[in-house]
Formats: sequence, structure tokens, C-alpha cells
Amino acid sequence: MKTAVSVKRERSYHRKNSIFPIINGTVMIIIMFFTLYPVINTIAISFNDGTDAVRGGIGLWPRVFSVKSYQTIFADESIYNAFFITVARTLIQTILNIVVTSMLAYALSRREYVLRKFITTVFVLTMYVNAGLIPNYLLIQRTLGISKSFWVYILPTMVSCFNMIVIRTFIMGLPEALVESARIDGAGDLYLFWKIIFPLCMPVLATVALFVAVGAWNSWFDTHLYNAGKVKLHTLQYLLKMKLATTTNSANAAMTSADAAASTTMTTPVTIRAAITVVSAAPIVVIYPFLQRYFVVGLNVGGVKG
Amino acid sequence: MRKLISLVLAMVLLATVFAIPAMAESTPDPMTVTVFVGEARDQPSSDNKVFKMIEEEFGLTFEFEFLAGDLDETLGVKIAGEDYADMMDGGNSEKLIAAGAFVNLMDYISAEKTPNLYTHIEPYLTRLLNEDGELFIVPNYGRYYNTQDYGMNYVNGPAFFLQKKVLAWAGYPTIKTMDEYFDVIERYIAENPTNDNGAANEGFAILCEDWRAFCLFNPVQHLMGRPNDGDVIIDIDDNYKTEAYVIQDYAKPYYKKLNELYNKGLISQDTFVMNFDQYVAKLSSGTILGMFDQTWNFQVATDALIAAEMYDSTYQGMGIVYGAEQAGKEVEEHYLNGTVINVNRGFGISVNCADPERLVMFMENMLSDEWQKVVNWGIEGEDYSVVDGRMVRTFEQIQNAANAVWKNANMSYVLTNSMPKKQGEMEDGNKWDPSVQPENYFAQMNDYDKEFLAAYGVKRPLDFFNDPIELAPYGEAWQIDVTTDQDANDAKAAFQDVQRKMLPQIIMAADGEFDAKWDEFVQAVEDVPISDFVDFMQDEVLKLVEKNQ
Amino acid sequence: MRTAKATTYPEKNGGITLQHKGFWYKLWQQKQLMWMSVPMLLYVFLFNYFPLWGWITAFMDYNPSVPLFQNEWVGLKNFTWLFGRAEFLRSIRNTFAMAAINLVFGFVFPILLALFLNEIKNMRFKRTVQTVTYLPHFLSWVIVVGIAQTIFASDGAVNQMLMALGIADQPIFFLGEGKYFWWLVGVINVWKECGWNTIIYLSAMSSIDPALYEAAEIDGAGRFKKMLNITLPCIKSTFMVLLIMNIGHLMEAGFEIQYLMGQNMVMDWSQTIDIFALKYGITKGQYSRAIAAGIFKSVVSITLMLAANITAKRFGEDTLL
Repeated sequence: MKTAVSVKRERSYHRKNSIFPIINGTVMIIIMFFTLYPVINTIAISFNDGTDAVRGGIGLWPRVFSVKSYQTIFADESIYNAFFITVARTLIQTILNIVVTSMLAYALSRREYVLRKFITTVFVLTMYVNAGLIPNYLLIQRTLGISKSFWVYILPTMVSCFNMIVIRTFIMGLPEALVESARIDGAGDLYLFWKIIFPLCMPVLATVALFVAVGAWNSWFDTHLYNAGKVKLHTLQYLLKMKLATTTNSANAAMTSADAAASTTMTTPVTIRAAITVVSAAPIVVIYPFLQRYFVVGLNVGGVKG
Repeated sequence: MRKLISLVLAMVLLATVFAIPAMAESTPDPMTVTVFVGEARDQPSSDNKVFKMIEEEFGLTFEFEFLAGDLDETLGVKIAGEDYADMMDGGNSEKLIAAGAFVNLMDYISAEKTPNLYTHIEPYLTRLLNEDGELFIVPNYGRYYNTQDYGMNYVNGPAFFLQKKVLAWAGYPTIKTMDEYFDVIERYIAENPTNDNGAANEGFAILCEDWRAFCLFNPVQHLMGRPNDGDVIIDIDDNYKTEAYVIQDYAKPYYKKLNELYNKGLISQDTFVMNFDQYVAKLSSGTILGMFDQTWNFQVATDALIAAEMYDSTYQGMGIVYGAEQAGKEVEEHYLNGTVINVNRGFGISVNCADPERLVMFMENMLSDEWQKVVNWGIEGEDYSVVDGRMVRTFEQIQNAANAVWKNANMSYVLTNSMPKKQGEMEDGNKWDPSVQPENYFAQMNDYDKEFLAAYGVKRPLDFFNDPIELAPYGEAWQIDVTTDQDANDAKAAFQDVQRKMLPQIIMAADGEFDAKWDEFVQAVEDVPISDFVDFMQDEVLKLVEKNQ
Repeated sequence: MRTAKATTYPEKNGGITLQHKGFWYKLWQQKQLMWMSVPMLLYVFLFNYFPLWGWITAFMDYNPSVPLFQNEWVGLKNFTWLFGRAEFLRSIRNTFAMAAINLVFGFVFPILLALFLNEIKNMRFKRTVQTVTYLPHFLSWVIVVGIAQTIFASDGAVNQMLMALGIADQPIFFLGEGKYFWWLVGVINVWKECGWNTIIYLSAMSSIDPALYEAAEIDGAGRFKKMLNITLPCIKSTFMVLLIMNIGHLMEAGFEIQYLMGQNMVMDWSQTIDIFALKYGITKGQYSRAIAAGIFKSVVSITLMLAANITAKRFGEDTLL
């Protein structure tokens, strides 16, 4: 219930600050320009003729339009399978990671949990130690024997400490009363977590899901290390990275043809790089607006509190 | 009756015994061969023409692993996990050999069993075999048949380059020395500060990015009249004395000259920080008059210039040397070296391979003339045709051969690039490598270049250079693997860092500060200590000379 | 295990429980929490701690083709070699400096952007801004550095602007002078990652009870007062936790941007520990050196993180541990 006084105050407040939204909006538009420029520039280059693009100076629109770079990328028959593998690993990895990490985060958010400090410390330290490539490789290839299989995409990435901490912080910010009132009703921790905490965590889970999904989508190193010899298990990013490297290689090793005969059919690293960026980023960028609503629209957590 | 049965049985048995080799002749056992290649390549498409032929004839199918990441890192984990493919081309293969990853191929190669392979390596046997007479990889390139000439029509390697329009403007002079070279640039730019499009001309560019910084490091050895030996210069007349040339007194005139050009505004400061893409963009916009580089390195820029029909802005390479007063002696130009066998590259067969002999026989058979034609040229009638005994390609066929997508479906490059192959000339005089077949080269040449060459009275761009000198017994020193010696290794890395940091500062030194900065640089290189690297190289060179002489 | 069994009947101990029996009792009570966490504990031991056997190779002259214990032990040789190199000491300084700049910029700009995004009332505009600002995150460093090098070149946009405004009378050599390098890296990082880093704060802000704002408005709080008194305190715990975590990451300044932009005359300012380890370690087959550098980084990181955590605790702030 707003009183007349408060309404009046609000009005005067808005009048006084009416300049702010304009400044804010202008600043945002400038920021958008700066961040959008490289993106549009990349898209423009990706649609430009390769040989022309090496001359540089392309701005926001292609100079000599061509879809050659995209044709080259999609000419590779294995790209569709790689796309499928990437989607599969991204989905599985994200769901598994969210469930496992949030469960762990809940457990470590309980102040009364006696192992809390120990387990938290063990997890936090993993962020700062790295055994190096060879021991990790031997673990996967020898000890676990899961190289050359889909498992290398799933098993080593089930839990992430950073994400666990982010979720834990969020949970600890939730009103304690939620848990306590449920506890009086005799609910166990698993029930509490799954029925009460998990649904409330949607904003942070959306954030973490985005982090995990983008990480999974963009990873290529595990394919390179463990599955490079298995064409059926190649991921999109791995394939695209290979494509860029081959284009660069063949540009380096190019033989002179005394005329433009050869160059008209050639793609160059500059345009291939741009097209690869578009192909690899587009699918994951499209997902963003769907996750966005979870953390842009304020969730009324307070409603539960009352 | 019983006798009859046993007779029939015996006959059946006999028939089977004879039938087995006969059947093997028609359809060999299928075998999947895993292949690792230490560089990025595209997977061949599943209906690839040549791989189908290989499968039909040899029963072999291939599972390829190419490299998307870092080579050394990848070899490190493969060695630690003993995770070897059947056939491996590990880029620089020393690491795999040292780790014992390969079988000794000399167990399978001999003049009787594998005549093609044996003939292929015979001239280089002393160079290729180790102390124990073992051979682990068969080099993929550098074995020339019926000629000592690379068969090139132009120089693909290092040179000082100049835009053709600058040479035309100067009246097609023959430029031999460094002073003449920079003098033309200076005079041209004084008269033509901008190009036809109104963009400012830049006299000389130096690419310094990452591993391509050889454009900054390497010129002095060539100015002194030696072919490319990497970071050291070797005096073949003085018992192969090896030294780092950038810090010698004779290096000073070159960098002093660059310093003068910089202070006159003919070299831009941005040249020291530009990346490869920016460099290529500048070359292909036609504003850079000259640079030291290697032809393959700026090939994309040449293609862009041709596509834009800016023929007069393409480059002619030249073998520029010091004058006598700068070098302290009369210098003869030797940018071109004799043919050199690519010792470190090619397939080895790993200890994990179930049937090494079969793979050796595969390499042997692929070295036959028939297969070599298929591998290099393709199928007659589809990819080339024969006119009056000469092998020629149409415009479309040349385009195909340059098209990565087409190659994936129609050529076996991804495999055969790492296999031993024939270069030079066939018995009938055709070139093994289609890209150096003169008919193909000249058929494509544009009119501007034809007139340009005619104005100089030469046939090929290659004719701007002296003939190759005989290859020194040590080969080319850049092939020497430094990673075997930790100190030499560290010294080399530090040495390159010092050059990267300080050479640009020297070139950019203000008037009068050059000498002080130069001394500082020489001191810094000596402090590396550079002797760790040079002494190592000296030893290796002498070892190679002793082995090959 | 036996002890755990003994504590299966804790009520038999009556009212007097010994300290450790209290522990086991509690643990039994919390078995559901254990189910939710202990399997993952075993998991990290396998995936993160077990491979740490590799650290002993820092004290060897390690060659992966030789069985582990047949490698020669060299004691602290790899460490003394590292700390004897001026380049390595410089690379520590550079890593630290750039990481510190990234740390500060990486908090200030995303939080500011998040705060001001939060002020936009038009939902569609807000979403558009947010989507657009996060896009550069998906560009590879090669592309971003390429564009940056063009912009900061002598004839690039920045120099043209500075000269048009009369701030500089001749082009500033941004890419060739070491003193600018750290700041360039900072600025480019903000450009690429600011929008992306905003996400985490926006998600924290989204859980703020709108009633708080309403109440403040009734009390006549202005826009900035609300930011200061409501929004910031509400994201403080997220901020603190991230801060402590990132203080631990002061030994990580990134790799690619320095590698792509710094391989020239600015090398004394650009080379980071990771680049050094790559150059003198991995690519030369000197794995032990890279591991030694890694151990050094880990030790420093953990020390910094713990120090930050203790400090935060002393001030009564939210902590990581």
C-alpha cells in the first residue's frame, strides 16, 4: 500500500533523475557498439572472398561476398557426426555436472556438517594444483583405460569446484528458515535439497549451466589427446580447429601458380578463421536468451520467506 | 574305394595349398592400419578415389590421427603412454626414435626384396643409417631422380624481394649488392611517395612475428654468400668453422643500413609489431616495396595481388649480397643449395604394429612408377592428359589440384605426403611433381610477368639467381636437432629472444646511438652464453662431415 | 570402520559424549549429507590428487620414455635453474602484474555494468545489451588480438582519435613499448570478458527481494543509494568468495593474449610464467622444468588464497573455506 506521500516522493524522484536513464541508455549503446564491432566484423570477414580478405580493411560488411569458407567447412562429411557428438556431450555433461555439483554444494552449505570444512578445503585446493599433462594422460589412458571412448568426455568433468562454490554461496544466501521449518517436519537432507533448495537455485543453476555448457561446447583438447584417432568420436571444435590448422598449413606450403587459377578456389586462414568462429559460436549463443530469463527476471525468493 | 577317397582328399588338399596364394593374389586379407601424422590434415572423404584403389590392391584401410594441438606435447604423452599408431610421421621424429618407438626398417629393406625402396635410399645410406646400421624412417622428400635440379621455375626459399614495378621504373637494372638494392628503393620512394591508390608507400618491411622472425634474423648469412643454414654460418673453406653470424662485425653493415632507412622514414615502426595477417594485408595492398622473406611465406599475398590484377605489385626475388667493403672480401651469391634429403621427416613403423613387413612392402609397391604417377598426378584422362609424350593439365584440373575439398576426395595426399616419393624427372622427361612441370607453369603465366621476364631476357624467375652450389657434406645446418643437448637448447631459445627484443631497438636507434646499442646487443648475445649453442653446432657439423665425406 | 560401527548406537552413551564420539555421532546423523558429498570426494582424489605423483618428476631429469623411477634424481636443480634465470623472475613479475590488473578490472567493470544493467527498466533493451556485451567472449584470442593490433597500431583508430583530440602530437607506439603492455592486456580483457563476467553478478542480483527496493523507495532512497545500500550488500557474499578465489589465481594471467601480442620487443613485459615454461620446458622436452614452475605457482597460489581467506575471516566477511 503506497501512501500519497510516497507516490509524490517517487514522482519527484523520477523527475529529478529523469536524465539518468538517458545517460545510462547512451552509455549502454556505446558499450554495445564496442562489443558488437568485432563480432560483426568477424561475420563480415567470414562471408568475404578469401583471397580478397587477406588485403585487410574489411569493416562491417563483406567487400567481395562469398560463401566459400562455409562451403569448405561443411564439405567435410564428418562435421555432422561431430556436431551430434558435441551436442550429446554438452547435454550429458551439463546435466550431470549440475546435479552432482549442486548436490555437493548443498552438502557443503550446511554449517552443521562435520566434514564440511575438510571437503571444502580438498575441493578448493584442486583449483590451484595441476599435476601436468603426462600424469593426467596416464590416468585416463592406462589406469582407467577410457581413452578412445565417449567416456573421456563425461567422466573427468563431472564436478567443478568453481561452480560448486558459486552455487554454495547462493544457497547460503537463502533464508535459513526455509530449511529449518522443513526439518521440523522431519525432512531429510536429500529431500530438502531436491524439493526445496534445488528449485530455488534456478538463477544460479542457469548461470552454472551456461558456464558448463559453454566449456563443454568449446573443448577440443580432450578429443585431441584421447580420441584423435577415432573419427566417429571427433567433436565439432576439434574438427574446426583442425580445419583452421590445415588451411594455415596449406597457405604456408602453397606453391606458386603463376596465375589466379589456383587462388580462385582457395580459402585463406583469415576467412576460414572467421567462419569457424561463427559456426562454432552460433549454436551456443542461441541458447543464451533461453537461460537469460532465469537471471534477468528477479525471482521473488522473499515470497517463500514470508 | 578307400584309395579313391584318399586320392580325392589328397587332390583337394593339394588344390587348397595352391589355391591359397592364388586367392591372396586377388583379394589380400583386409587390414586396418592406424596412422599418426604430426601435422594438421583433413580426414580424406570416405569415397576417396585413390584410397579405394589402394584398398582394392593391397587390402589396406587407414585410420588417421592428425595433429590439432602442439606437436611436442602430443609426442610427450604418446611416448609416456607408449600409445603408438602402426605408422607414424612425428614431424621431427628424433623424439620417437630416441624413445624406441620404431622398428629397424633395414630388417625388411634390401636390394632383392625391396628394389624400389633400396634404390630410393641407396645414394643417402651413409647419411640415413645410424652407427648401428639401423634405419627408422624413410624420408618423404628430397630424393631426386634423373636430375640434381629441384626442377623449380622460381625460388621458393629465401631472397630479397622487390616489387616488379620498382624494377620496371628503374629500367630493369640487374641488382646484385645490398647498396644497389636499397638505393633503388630510396630513389623510387622519393619520386613515388604513394602508390596508384594514393596509399603511402613503405620502403622495406621486416616481419618479426613469432617463428616467422627469420625475416629479421636470417639475411646476413645470405648477404655473406651462403645458403640457408639457420642460425649459424659455416665456412666450408676453413674447416667448417661455425659461428653465429648476427653478432659478427660483418652483420653490422646490414643493420646499420636498416637503421639509416628507419631514420629516413623508409621503414615503419609498426613493422616490428605487426602480426602475419597485417603483414600480408600490407603486401597485398601493394604499398611495401621490398622485404627479405621466403616465397612460400607470403604466397597468400601474391595470390591476392594477382586476383586483384595488381601484377606490377607482385615481387621478384633476388640474391642480394654484400659489396666487398662490407663483407671484407669479394662475395659470390649462393642463395640456392643442392638438393637435400629430408632426413627427419617421413613414416616409421612402430613397435606396436602387428605386421611391419606388410607395411614395408606397401611402401615398396607405392614407389613403383605406376603408383607414383597416381599419387603425384592422378588418373590419366581424369586429372591430366598426355600430349606428345608430355603430361599436361587443363585449367580446371589445375584448379582442382589446388582445391582442398577436391583433394580430400580424389588424392591420397594425407597419407602419401609422409611416404617416400619420387621427385625430379621420369625416364621420359616429365616431372614427377606436376607443379614444376614447365608446361603447366608457363601456360598459367600472366602477360605482365611474361613481358617482365622478357625485359630481363630470362626464361624463368629462377634465372635471377646463380645456379645451386653443391650441397655441403653436413647438409643444411638448420636440420640439426638441438633438443638433444639441454644447454645448447636453452642457449638457442635465449638467443632468439635476445634477437627479437634487441634487433628492432637497434634498427630504431636514433642517430648516433646505433653503435652503443649494437655493442649492447653483441654483449647480450655473448652473455646467453651463445657459445653453448655454437659449440654444439660446430661439433654436430664436424660429425656430419666426417660421416658423409 | 569399526569406530563407525561402534557409534551406530550413540544413544547408549547417554548424556555424556566424548568429543570424538560426538563427531561420529554427528556424522551418522548426517549420513545423507555424506551420501551427497563423499563419493565426489573420492572422485577428486582419483582425478585431481592421484595424478599429483607427477610432481616428483620436478626433482628428476624426467624423460617420459624411461620408466618413472629409472629417471635420474637431480634434487632441486630444476628449481635453482628457474630462479637463476632473469627471464623467469621477470615472468613472475609480469604474471603478477597482469593478473592483478585483470583482478581489479575484472571486478570493477563487470559489477558496474551489472549495476547499470539492473537499472534499465525496459526488459527488451536490457536483454539486448546483455546478450550483445557477452558476445565477444566467443571470439578466439587470435581474432580479438588481431583486431586490437589494428586498432592500436600507429595509424589505428586509437592513435587517430588521440591526435584529433590533441592529446598526442605524434602516434603513440602502444604495441612496441613495454610500459603499455600490461594495461593493453587489461583493457583488451575487459573488452572481451566484461559482459561474460557480468552474468554471475546478475544472477546474484536476481535473487534480491524486490520488496527491499520498494521499502527503500518509500523511505525516499535515490537510485544510487539503493545501489549502495541494497544491491551491493546483497551481492557481497558472491563478491567476497570470488575475490578470495581470484586472489589465489594471481599466478594466472592468461596465456594466449600475451603469446600472440608479446613475441617482440615488449617481451620483457609480456612473458608470463606459462610462456616461459612452454618455451624452456615443454617444447624442449624439459618436462621437469614445466612441472617445477607449476609447483611454484601452486604453492604461491594456495598461500595467497589462504591469506586472503584468513583476512576475510578476521574482518568477519564471508569466506571461501
